[in-house]
This record gives sequence, C-alpha cells and structure tokens, in this order.
Amino acid sequence: MGRVGILSALAAMAVAAQPPFQVDPAAADLLENQCFSCHEEGTEKGDVRLDNLAGLPLDVRLDLMNRMQEQVYLEHMPPKDKKSQPTAEERKQLVAWLSRELGVHQASKLEGKLRMPAYGNYVDHAKLFSGEHAGLPGFTPDRRWLISEFIFNEKFNRLLRFRPTRDIGPKQANGRNARVPVSGDSRRNGVNLTNPFLLPTDSGVRYYDTTTLDGGHLLTMLTNAREASAYAIYLAERSRGRDFPAIHAILKTEWEHQALLAAREKFLGDFIGIVLRDLYGEEKDAALLPTFVPVTIERTGGGDNYKKAPFHAAELAREEMQLMYFTLEKFRDAAGDDEELLRLCERDWFHHGHDARKIAMRLTFLDGYLDEWRGRWETENYAKKNPLPRYKPLAESEMEIIRATILRHRQKGDTRLAVIGKCMADWKEQFRQERERAGVANEAQLGALVLELFREILEREPGDQEAVENLQLAKSYVGKLGNVAGVRKMFETLLVSSDFAYRSEFGAGEPDEHGRRMLAPRDAAFSISYALTDSSPDPELLKAAESGRLATRADYEREVKRLLAQRDKYHVIDEAVEQLGVQSFTNLPVRKLRFFREFFGYPNLMPIFKDDKRFGGAYKTVTAGLVSEADMLVEHILRNDRNVFEELLTTDEFFVFHSGDNEAMAAHSAKLREVYEEFRGVDPGKLTEKDFDARAEFLKAHGITRVGRANLQTFRKTIEGISARFDKGQRGAPPYVLHHYQGPTASDRAGQKMRYEQIVKCYDLDLHNWDYPVEQPAPMPHRAGILTHPAWLIAFARNTETDPIHRGKWIREKLLAGTIPDVPVTVDAVVPEDHTKTVRTRVAEKTGETYCWKCHEGMNPLGYAFEMYDDFGRFRTEEFLEHPDNIVKKGPDKGDPHVDLRDTFKTLPVLTTGTLAGTGDPQLDGEVENAIDLTRRLAKSERVRQSIIRHAFRFFMGRNEMLSDSKTLIDADQAYVRTDGSFDAVIVSLLTSDSFLYRKATDR
Amino acid sequence: MTNRRQFLRTTAAGALALTPCFKAFAGASPEAGFPKRFVFIRKSNGERPLELALPSFSNRDRDMDARKEALEVDLDGHELPDYLKGLDAHKADMTILQGLSCMMSENGHFSYSSVMGCYKSNRNSLSGIKRATIDFELAKLFPSPFGHVELSLTGNYNAFRTGIVSGYSASGPQQRNYCYADPQTAYNELFKCVTNPEAVDSDNAMLSFLEGDENFKARILEGYEKLKLSNHVDSLESIRRRNKQLAGISGDIAKHLPTIGKIHADGGLNASTPEKWEAMTEVLIAALVTGLTNVVTYTIDELSTPVRGLPGNETDRISIHGLGHNEGYSGVSADKIRENIRIGHMQQVARIVERLKAQPEGKGTMFDNTMILYFPEGGETHHGHGTEAPFVILSGANCRLDIAGRYIRLPYHGKEGHKTLGNWYTTLLNAHGNPIKHYGDLDLEMSRRKLEQTGAISRFMA
Repeated sequence: MGRVGILSALAAMAVAAQPPFQVDPAAADLLENQCFSCHEEGTEKGDVRLDNLAGLPLDVRLDLMNRMQEQVYLEHMPPKDKKSQPTAEERKQLVAWLSRELGVHQASKLEGKLRMPAYGNYVDHAKLFSGEHAGLPGFTPDRRWLISEFIFNEKFNRLLRFRPTRDIGPKQANGRNARVPVSGDSRRNGVNLTNPFLLPTDSGVRYYDTTTLDGGHLLTMLTNAREASAYAIYLAERSRGRDFPAIHAILKTEWEHQALLAAREKFLGDFIGIVLRDLYGEEKDAALLPTFVPVTIERTGGGDNYKKAPFHAAELAREEMQLMYFTLEKFRDAAGDDEELLRLCERDWFHHGHDARKIAMRLTFLDGYLDEWRGRWETENYAKKNPLPRYKPLAESEMEIIRATILRHRQKGDTRLAVIGKCMADWKEQFRQERERAGVANEAQLGALVLELFREILEREPGDQEAVENLQLAKSYVGKLGNVAGVRKMFETLLVSSDFAYRSEFGAGEPDEHGRRMLAPRDAAFSISYALTDSSPDPELLKAAESGRLATRADYEREVKRLLAQRDKYHVIDEAVEQLGVQSFTNLPVRKLRFFREFFGYPNLMPIFKDDKRFGGAYKTVTAGLVSEADMLVEHILRNDRNVFEELLTTDEFFVFHSGDNEAMAAHSAKLREVYEEFRGVDPGKLTEKDFDARAEFLKAHGITRVGRANLQTFRKTIEGISARFDKGQRGAPPYVLHHYQGPTASDRAGQKMRYEQIVKCYDLDLHNWDYPVEQPAPMPHRAGILTHPAWLIAFARNTETDPIHRGKWIREKLLAGTIPDVPVTVDAVVPEDHTKTVRTRVAEKTGETYCWKCHEGMNPLGYAFEMYDDFGRFRTEEFLEHPDNIVKKGPDKGDPHVDLRDTFKTLPVLTTGTLAGTGDPQLDGEVENAIDLTRRLAKSERVRQSIIRHAFRFFMGRNEMLSDSKTLIDADQAYVRTDGSFDAVIVSLLTSDSFLYRKATDR
Repeated sequence: MTNRRQFLRTTAAGALALTPCFKAFAGASPEAGFPKRFVFIRKSNGERPLELALPSFSNRDRDMDARKEALEVDLDGHELPDYLKGLDAHKADMTILQGLSCMMSENGHFSYSSVMGCYKSNRNSLSGIKRATIDFELAKLFPSPFGHVELSLTGNYNAFRTGIVSGYSASGPQQRNYCYADPQTAYNELFKCVTNPEAVDSDNAMLSFLEGDENFKARILEGYEKLKLSNHVDSLESIRRRNKQLAGISGDIAKHLPTIGKIHADGGLNASTPEKWEAMTEVLIAALVTGLTNVVTYTIDELSTPVRGLPGNETDRISIHGLGHNEGYSGVSADKIRENIRIGHMQQVARIVERLKAQPEGKGTMFDNTMILYFPEGGETHHGHGTEAPFVILSGANCRLDIAGRYIRLPYHGKEGHKTLGNWYTTLLNAHGNPIKHYGDLDLEMSRRKLEQTGAISRFMA
C-alpha cells in the first residue's frame, strides 16, 4: 500500500461523527509528488509530517492544513530551490482541496488573512499593473467599516458640541496667529470618554475594514454612552434647548423646577440672614439660632527646620476663599481687631451651619496667612474681582412662598442652612408631585426625541419601522425609569448600536451588468469625507448627496477636488506630540498627510525609550520635535505637490529646530544677534549687577526676563551661551537660551516655546558652531529623503543599536511591493551581543545560514546601506563598540545643551554598501554605495512608485487590492505620471475610480 | 507545558476577540482552587528608601543598607519603622523590598500608568501606553465578573475628583482604564446588582432590544459582513450573561455590602481624607470578598490629592506637592506630615489584611491567597529619578513567592545582579502562570553596561 493509500485508509477510519476526511485524487498525486519527500515519516522537515494527516486529531489536522494552505497559496512551499515545482494549475488544485476540507469544518483561515494589511502584497504586482486585468470591473464589496479612533473623536466632538481651538491660524495684524477651530483634539472637558477604536501601531496602512466590533469595544462604548448621555442632557439644559430641543422639551418642566429651586437656594444662600431677620426681627431671630460652639484648633510652633508652606500651597478652594473674603468684609467695621473679627466670622459660619471642619480649616488658614492675604487683595484687585453680593429681594410672589415655607419649617436651634434645607426639601417634593400629576413624556415628545437622537447620533433619519420600534422602546424606558433616566437610556441605546460604530458603504439603485451598484448618495458623502478627513460630510457635501448631485464620476471629482483645496480647516496631527509641548497641526486635509506619516511610520519613534547618555544629551526633549519636523517636511512636499514620491525619497532639505515660519525664525535669530552685538567684547563671566541695570530695558525688549540682579549667574550664562554661537563667525544662530523660561527662545506656530534644541545632535550639528539657516527647509549634509530623517531612522532602530533587518524589511514591503514571510516559530530571532564586532557583522553572522538567508536576503542588503547612521540617526563613518570594556574616554555627566555627553568607545569602520534587487529595472538593481545611493535609485523606480500607489489605494479604500482593481491602480499611477508627480491627482483618481464608486454584495 | 511562544499566541488570539477586562469575566478560571488576589496601592511623592530601613538593624546591616549594598534580613525579631508599626502583627507576611529600579517608567512628579507598565508614558499620552499594565495582566490569569477594579483618591489640590474618571492602569496598548474616584461612586457601580437592580434591568432591556435589532440587520447580510454583526450580537449577549451572573451571586454580594457613611454622598465633598481612605478601603475589601474582582488597583493619592483632616493637622488643607518641597503646615514639619500620611495608608493596609484574614477560604483564609503591594508611583522621592522604588508587600501563605517575613535589599541600579521593576513584574507573572520571558521595557543603563536584566527574580520563585 503506497503512502497515499495509507492516507486514504486512515481517512476512512476517521471518527464517524465527523464529516469524513477526503483527499481527492489530484491532491493526493500532488502530495505524493511534491510534499512527501520532505514531510513524511523519517524526514519531517521543519517538524512537519503530512503522510499521517487523516490520523491526526481534528484540531491538529485543521491547524496543519491551514498552514499548508497558506504555504502553498503564498508559494512559500515547495521551497524555491527545489527543482520540481507544481504548475500554477496544480497549485490551484491543491489549494482548492485544502480550502474544501477546511471549509467542511468552517476552519479556513487564509481568506481572513488575505484581507489583512500584511498580506496585501501577495496580490501579484505584475498582474495588477500589466493591463491584462484592466478590463475587469472594479468594485468594493458592500460593507460596514468600523470607525477609527479619529472618527470616534470627531463624532463625539460634534455630538457633544466640543469645539476645540488653537492659536495656529493665519497671522493677524498684531503679528499673532489667529485662534481657529481644530479637529483632532480629544481632550474634552466635562465628559470622560474612552476611545475603544484604536488602530494598530504598525507602519503602513493602519485603518482597514477588517476589524469587527467585539466585547471590549462594546463594554467601553456602554460606559461612554452613559457619560455622553449625561453630558447631552446637561447641554440641552445649558443651552435652554438650542442643543437637543426634543430632550429639552421633555425635561423642560423638570429644569424649570430645578432653576426655580436653584434661584431660591442661591438667594437664600446669600441672604438668608437678612430674610430671617426681616421675618422674625433681630432679637427673635438670634434667639432661634443654635447655641454657638466654637471649633478647636491646635496651634503648634515649628521647629528650627520648619518651613512654612507658601500661600499658594495653603490657600483653600476658590469658592472658600471668596466666602471668607465676604465674611471678613461683612464684619470688618464691627470688629475691633483681627481676633474679634475671626470670632465674628466663626460665629456667623457656625450659625449659618457650615461644616465644623470647614470652619476649622478656614480659621487655620486665616491664622497663618491673613496678613499675607490682605496684602494680596490690593495687588490682585480682589475687591473688584469679588464684589460683595447686594441684597435684592426676589419677586414678591416668590418672597411670599419663601417666607411662608420658612415660617412653616423653622424651629429653634436650626442653623440657617438647616432652614434652607427644609425649605428646599418641601419645594422639591411639591414639584415632584406636580410632575407626577402631569405624567411622563407624551407620544409626540417621544417621537420627536427618537427623530432627534437618530439625527444627532446616527446622522440620519429613522426608517419607518425603526421609528415605530424606537418609539415603543422610548415609551417603555420613560414608563419604567421616568423622564430623565428614560431619555438617557434612549440616548445610550443608539450610541451602542452598530450603526454608530460602523460606517455604512452600500450600493443603491439598479445593478449594472456586473452586478455592481453605485454607492448610495448618503454613504458616498460619508465615504468621500472620511477619505480625506475624520469628520462627517460638510453641509455642501450633504447637500450634494440630498439633491442628486452625487451620482456621477464628475460629481465625485468635483467634491474631492473641493475638499482637497480646502485650507480653512485646521487639524491636530498628533496629540501625543502636542502633549509634549510641540506644535502638531496642518490645514491640509489631514488624511492626505496621515497617509505618508503612517506609510513611513516615523511617529513610531515616540514610544522608543532611549538612553540620554548614549544620545549625549536630553533625548526625551527631542522626540516630539523630530516627529513634528518630519511632519512639516512631508507637509512642505505635499504643498508643492510635484514629484511627491521622489521628493520624499530624495530631498536633502530638512527642517531642523524650526517652526516652519521663516519670518518668525529669522526674527528670533536676529534678536539673539542684537543681544550678541550689545554684549560683544564683554566677558560674560564678569558681568555685574551694574551691567544688568544699564541694559535692563534692552534685555526686557529682547525677551530676556527673570534674569539679572537676583540670579546673576544665569544672566552671565545666558549671555555666554549667545556669544558663543556668534563668536565663530556665523550669520545666524539657533534661537534658544540655556534656561528656556528666561529668554528669547523661539516660539513655534502654536505659541509654545521651542525647547528641543538638542535635536541638532541627531544631525551631527554643534549648537555653538552652526550657521543657523533661518529659512528652512534647508540642505543638510548626508541626507536624502525621509528614510534618512532621524525620525525614521530612530523609529526603525532598536533601543541601543541600529536595526538593518527591519529597515530592509520596510523597504522590501513598502517600496518594492515584496513579501517577507513571518518569522518561523522555530527561529530564535535575537542577534547575539559581541562587543568586538559591528552590528552589521553580528546580523550577517546570525542570518547568513541558508535557512535564514532565504528570507533575509530580501531585507539585510537593503538595510545595511543605512549603517551610515547610528540608532539616533547620526551620520557616521565609524561605529562605536559600546561596551564598558571598550570605553576610551568617559563623557561628562552633565553639561549645557551644546555639550556632547557621550562616552567615547573603540570603533570599527562602518560598511554601508548594500544591494538593491527587486525594482525590475537593471539600471537600478545592483550594489549600492550607501543609503543615499539607495534612496536615489529607489526614487527612480517604476515599481517603487507603483508600490506607493498600491499603499495609497489601501489607505483610501480600507482594504487590499484585488485583480479587479487593476484599472484603478493603473489609472492612479498614470495620473501621477501625467501630472508630474501630483499626489492630489492620485487621490482624485482613486476616489473617482470604479473601485470606490461601485459596490457589490458579496459573500466574501 | 505551555511554552512562551504558545502562550503569547494564545493571548494574542484572545486579544483579537476581547479586551482583557472583558475576557477576564468571559473566561473560566484557568486552574482549580481559589484564585489569587492582588491589591496594588499606588502612592505619590516617592517613597524614601531610608524611611523603610529597620531601626533595629545591626551596625553592619545599617551601613550596608545606607551604602545600597545587597542585604537580606529576617523581620522576625526586628523593630519596624514607625510608620509600619501598625502592621507589627503581620510581620511574618510582610516584605520590605528595596533596590528595585524603575528608570524605564516615567519618574519625577507623575508616572501615570507607566509605573505599572514599565514604559515611558510621554506625559500620559495614549500612544505612550505600550502594553497592558501588570494588574491587568494578572487579572487575565484570575478571571472574575468585573475582571479588574480601579479606585483612586485624586483631586485638583483643593477638591477630590468624584465619579468615574480616567484611571492609571491600562487594559492594553493605548487603552487607558477608568476608575472610581470616590467611595460612593465605587459602591454604587460595583454593587449595583444589589443596590439598584432596576438599573440593571433597564440595562438588560436595552441589550435585549439591541440584540434583536442587530439580528434583524444581520439577516440580509452575507459572509464577512454578517460576521461583523454576529460579533456585535455575541458581545451584547456576553454582557447580558455577565449581568445574569452577577444577579446570580447578588445574595452573596448583599451579605458583604460595605457600609459607607452619609458624608460620602454626592462625591463626599465634606469628607476628610482619612474618611475617604476608610470608605474606599471598605469598598475595596467588599469587592474582593464578594468575588467581584481578584485584582484591585488603588491610587491612594497623587500630588494633587487634597489632604484634609489628617491627624496632627486636622484643620489644614495640605498639598502633597508642597510636602514634597518640604513645606510644613501649622507648625508640623513636612517630614512629620508625610509620615502621618503613610501611617494612614498603613492603617488601610492593615485593615485589608485583617479583614481578609477573618474571611475563611478553603482550609485557611482569603488572605492566604492575597498579595498587597504598596509602592510609590515615581520612585524614591518627590522628584524621583527611578533608581529606587521601594515596595512594602503583604502576602498570604499560598503566595507563590518566597519573600515573606524579610527585609530584602537588591543590588543597586547599574550593578551586577540589579533588578528592575520589569524583573519584579516578570516574577509575579511567571509565578502565576504567565511564562513571559520579560515584562516591560529594559533599563537603558543596564543595557549600556551590558548587564543581564531580563527574566524573573529567580531567588523569589517559591
């Protein structure tokens, strides 16, 4: 019996309860001829044996068959070096059998994997661009697409009327930037939301339609929904129905009651003393008050080392301070001295009914700080800011109610707050009964609520059936829970429905001969808007959809071009960068920029933790600046919109310690020069108080504040630092001072001081000897494009050394449309330490074996070229062999920003040659001298251009390309070529392609 | 035995389907017997190593400790530092662990989630959250209805935060947790199935409606699109199941409901800090005893937490930040007030220990399966730099680490044999079933000096 026979026999013995395991004859032949020689009993290469498949437990068999399916489909098996290879048809047959068998158990994983971003390149590049498939009708499957973290933020910002702004707009007449609304800010006050729709952190395209909502998303959304519903109700009340009018209509009576209660409470809170005296007369009122019990306060002296807390650390909450101030003022004239004044205050607070602890705390504070506080009253204009409340009775009808209620409830010994409390409880109960008599919200109100919530939350009208069902639900909620809780529950229900979490992209109308339908107009409006921004469609786009002007390719083109041309909307690019005090905004459509920052993946440097000592300075201060300046460079190239890919890959002009505003940076640098000229020839170390006094006005005018008499040393250091930068003959100097808070450090366009001057260390520049180019981007030596930007180099490096493997992998996959299989489970993917060898040597030794090299030859020769930079992106010709045994000279532990704090180690020369293979162009493929040579060649490659186009396709479509997208890709590529490298042209082409316009129901 | 790679693959697959907190209540306990419990108590303002030194150290030990040399001393027979004296009765269960470093987390004033995740949080930016924090990792190993509970007492220097606010733990990369910021909110939310069953009913009504609605929508879809909606339906169903599960144990929960004073109503604006501590401790204990969770993270203070009503300074409004700058109040020195705060903290720890010891479980008590870790969020002092992060640990008899009853000082940062927070958390994970090779980012100075720094602290493994 042959091996196939055994396989079949075992198949027959498969457990009866399971569908029988079947091997069709064609597959059996292929297994016999192509697989068993390496994977049968006795050989079992890679610990894989295939001749006993049928005898394996089901789960083991399915797992193995899934691996087989993937290996055969992706052409990883049989190995390329094996002489006998299956034909394309045979491969198809084998995959078909595996799919069928796995399908019986619904266990096939390949289809799911092929939808994932990492598998995009497995669609044959040549087939996509050859034109042979250009006749296939392009479409995207009908789909729901889970919202992204960015869309989540914008949806909630819109819903909850959060309208963030920044000082980043165009310059105004006063020289300042205008304050403009921005999108992309998630720091909402007053509502605590958690974003469950976070995208993966890999480089490349992060936002795909493959993610499905799971329990984690849902749990978080339930909590968000509760928060948001409470906040929406607050908004409806605050705006008196301008926001959420239907909610307001239902809860109006409750709020009127609350407002009335609040007004009475406020009035009584301020003037209960007067009201009671008027009502009872002074004597009787006093007799009814509780017997005064003073609080006890321990007052101890401090010891010798005692340091009293300063005023700001001891002062109480603002409202407490105000209340104390009012009371002190009230009794100011009645008290003979402070002691008596405090006694009167205490008595008043006691009679009012304030918490004894609060009284004690106030007295403790006043005991320690009253004199100092009084001193501040004048300087801080305290009286004007805190005018004493002036007694003005409420309307007589209200006063009558108040007086009657007080008379009904006040008893001897009640504090004033107790009286207020009793009155409030009485009125609350009266109002509650009144509402109860009126009943819960009626059908019309609830119908309006359903409509409002659909429009606000789901941004659409309810269907007829939805309207009916949701009305029933709303009725049931308010019936069981009352108006407030019922409305909230209704709000929550719509927020956690899948319609909120998913974007809808379905075709509508009559299908064409290929079964495709054009995107429904409303879905199209959202799809176009989300392609370029994170926001819902603007009114113009919605109007186009509603009025039938989003029905043709030309309509799409008109709207896409309109949105691409918009420059009046500002977006925060990266909140993490902003949070570190560095500007991060754009007024380009944010997703255009985001494509490149995610494609290159340089923002991934942010979580990489690196050693200050190895950096030779304060590394953490420069991370956000690196990302921001890389963003600025990409934005600069996108604004020019010519030869975008080539420029991104080869430009030698970079932003380095620059805000992007040439005029402002020139002014900042000139200011330093004026300071330099003022002190030229003076020995900074000998500057005296007199020097400071003589130039006080000058220094102030130049922004050098908070130095001088009190801290002469800082003054000297500041002047010394500025002088050092010009003494060597530079025309300009980087605009920073040693102590950021004291001097004319430049501000970025968001108005924040630029505190990341040590960024220049990534460019091998010396802060004290750099002829600062005020106009940027400016040429930087040894650089060519984003791949040589320190941000990218750090993002693709390890904590303590470079990473040629991942740099090479990135180029292979992102620029050459190549594929690298996952690291096999059996591989220990760690490059061993050896402090006598360079990283390149160690990597080469580890990966040089045949088994490793078959994958690594696609990566390492590309990545090696970047060894001309260290893991901070510094250009180098020698590599430090960083190990304690190799230290040649210890660097200083501390120093000014320009000082290099690194230790010096023994070195070895770096080898920067590499090999470019895979462009398909013999003029370009071959040995490269270094990274600059490599990137310049890459920029000339058609395949690289097409690979970027493929990634752009994925970014804007949210899925991997199919052969039926061939025409879309070719058109986008040609649009780029035809327009001398316009990325806008690529976007227009993609968003007006069949792949974008047409949808089709599939059972994918 | 599950190897590391298999384990990682398993958890990665799980993470695709459910976030850790959700998975925690969805899964069954991975092992028979009683779950292990963990209480992480984070404190601000640093923990100065010398303040943990034993007053009864021999001269030799005192010198070694001062010189930061490795040291191990049995607590038995030794006097504890003043502020730890409230735990005298539990000395046999106590570990004073010195010498761990936390340079890889954010230091200085605030560490946010980083001290429990061993990464730099980039001033609390979401993208800075690199991984699930240690408490969430442990919660995955010991599932419970709530999975993980986070409490905090923080504020804006003058007033305490109240309600449900953003937390300090992370359930996964870029996932900041939420926490209950006052005892009453924590009580209301955790014990809702007993205290407010109507709210649970209305939640269930909502979930049921949504389930029907999503099923209806899914009817007309095919393939992957149908799967997306079925996932949604499954998730709704899972939450309903959890509610049902909670309703099933509501009898037990009712038996252990904590008592919270009226002063904590509406956020407890007039409650003193010690009152807040006590009430929060009650909630914490009840959350453990009722089985709602096996892991609690409690930020007992941060620099902005107002301190009011502290014994010795009853009438001061104390700024913890001010104390860090050595500012005293009402004649009481900053050092003394700091000590009084720690004494207050330790009273809470003692209360947890004693209450869990009074709660039978199997042949012993609940404390036998519990570990309480009290530690600073930002290293060794107010402006900590992370070379030292002292821990006070109370662990029961079934604890899987060999550390109890000892003062342990590990080799100092940058020296051979030094251990980081990453090593410590790896130890906790390895000891409880997660075979991860190393948890957290590496220490760059150790890397620069080419010193070994990965893996568990083997001498602690029981």
